Amino acid sequence: MGLDYQFVLWNRNKKRYDIIIVFGMLFYLFLFTGLTLIFKSQTTMETLLIRAFGTLALLMLHIILAIGPLCRLNTAFLPLLYNRRHLGVSMFLAALVHGGFSLFQFHALGNTNPIYSLFTSNMDYGSLTNFPFQVMGFFALLILFAMAATSHDFYLKNLSPKIWKGLHLMVYIAYVFILFHVFLGAFQQETSVLTVSFMGLGFLSLVTLHIITGIREAGKEKQEYEINVDQWLKVCHVSDIKTNRAKICTIDNGPVAIYKYDGKISAIHNTCKHQGGPLGEGKVIDGCITCPWHGYQYLPHNGQSPPPFTDKVQTYQLKLEKGIIYLNPRALQEGTYVEPIQIEK
Amino acid sequence: MREDKEFYVGYFDEMGPNTKRNIKGFIVLVVLIVVFCAMVFGLSQRPFANSTFEFGSDTEITGIYHEMPYPMLRVEVAENEYKNIVLLGFGKSSINPFLKKIRRKGTRLTGKILTIKGNLIYYNGKTLIQLTDEENVSIKNQLFVSELPIKDEMGRVSFMGEIVDPKCYFGVMKPGYGKIHRSCAVRCISGGIPPVLATKDNEGNDRYVLLTDSSGNPINEAILNYIGKPAKVTGHLERMEDWDFLRLNTGDIEVLDQESGIYVQ
Repeated sequence: MGLDYQFVLWNRNKKRYDIIIVFGMLFYLFLFTGLTLIFKSQTTMETLLIRAFGTLALLMLHIILAIGPLCRLNTAFLPLLYNRRHLGVSMFLAALVHGGFSLFQFHALGNTNPIYSLFTSNMDYGSLTNFPFQVMGFFALLILFAMAATSHDFYLKNLSPKIWKGLHLMVYIAYVFILFHVFLGAFQQETSVLTVSFMGLGFLSLVTLHIITGIREAGKEKQEYEINVDQWLKVCHVSDIKTNRAKICTIDNGPVAIYKYDGKISAIHNTCKHQGGPLGEGKVIDGCITCPWHGYQYLPHNGQSPPPFTDKVQTYQLKLEKGIIYLNPRALQEGTYVEPIQIEK
Repeated sequence: MREDKEFYVGYFDEMGPNTKRNIKGFIVLVVLIVVFCAMVFGLSQRPFANSTFEFGSDTEITGIYHEMPYPMLRVEVAENEYKNIVLLGFGKSSINPFLKKIRRKGTRLTGKILTIKGNLIYYNGKTLIQLTDEENVSIKNQLFVSELPIKDEMGRVSFMGEIVDPKCYFGVMKPGYGKIHRSCAVRCISGGIPPVLATKDNEGNDRYVLLTDSSGNPINEAILNYIGKPAKVTGHLERMEDWDFLRLNTGDIEVLDQESGIYVQ
């Protein structure tokens, strides 16, 4: 969490993360160029750069797209999510080198503007096999640029988390553009079965991961609760919740996190104001509910971030009868104080 | 229920042992994927042509200038053995802008001995040269019109191959053909570089044919839609020493729905 905007709020884990990204990228580039220079030594430097950075960006994009569902399936992957935006910006830079060199190589030093040439040098827009694949790569790069340029909490706050999230979900549109860019471009000429199969495997892995995650998440939402005479929902037994952890129950207003901590229970809205992380999958640390995604914190009794932070989420009233927790499904205004319920010994 | 201890928060330095172990495992997996990916993408590339572009290295060549219809220098490489070197401009441009400047000075070029300093491009017996500055052209005033090459009519023929731009195909780019390169070839030929049909003869040997319109004039804009695609091209073949020319109507070009034979190198 940070109160003031800084270019990067460095900490030890972010530095480690970035070192691994840089070394990983250099390792791939070293291997690709080394193997090409040894076994395909007649290549040109331009082709080598375009292909090395293009395939690197492709590999990184697959890893980035896998992180989200992996974290939903297993919290052990959460450290990968923490600094994913640096991985995203690094992937964009690799894609930019690929796109920039390609634009110069194929369209510059000619009799027209390179961008105009990109759209007009191949006009077979009605053909699948002859389709101008570079255009797809260009649009993908524009999306990746918009995402990389706004990969900062300043934009997250000022664009609003909803718009920011929507913008960053466009990575899936970029991925589709890239698939078409590769299959209608390089794979029309570089027809190695191994390469095409490998790319197909990457696509299938991502689709499978997302489907499994989607099914699991949808299952969580299909909960029905017994309603008592006061229209409160019977949620669970207090012993079903681990200390300093929560039970998430989904009601009409969305998911609610019911936390057990310090011999008490409190309920707040489950969605973190930062990036929509699931607060109910977090933990109470130093008296604050801590989001598992980026560590944003809220006080359990009023849903407010501890001062000087100002984020707030809705709170809910709870009742405890014979060890059973009941939730009033009517949300209170964001940041409203609710007396925590003491757990009887 | 008791509290479970391990929970990762990015801005805390410490990391639980289970989390640490999982992340290490993931990093090892990514390293293996990186190695595998580099091997798959690196080793499965089609072989590159053994062509050469001597970028940054100037060579002087001397020969008799002619345009039939594309600017060339006829160079004697051995006794009574001639090679016609295709002249090109800088980037994706023909040599014509440079020649235009020279001609503005009232200098006639055809039949004269020119010495050109530029970057050689060569592959499979064909040579081209890129001129980067008109100052690198020196002209002898004596005319050698009688030593200009002659074209012989070879009749109407059809070839299957791919129309490429010779600058990239013979060395500047690898690959200088096919779909990946099509946009660049369109820019080059649109910029005045002569189109070449890359094909194979019945014995499977590479064969290159310069294309002109049906009157034997340069063809550029009219042929752009056919570049970089497997095609059957029909026209009147002419032979001029080490180069063949094909006079054609673009209506006689048939785009084929198949893999180009020139990919197999």
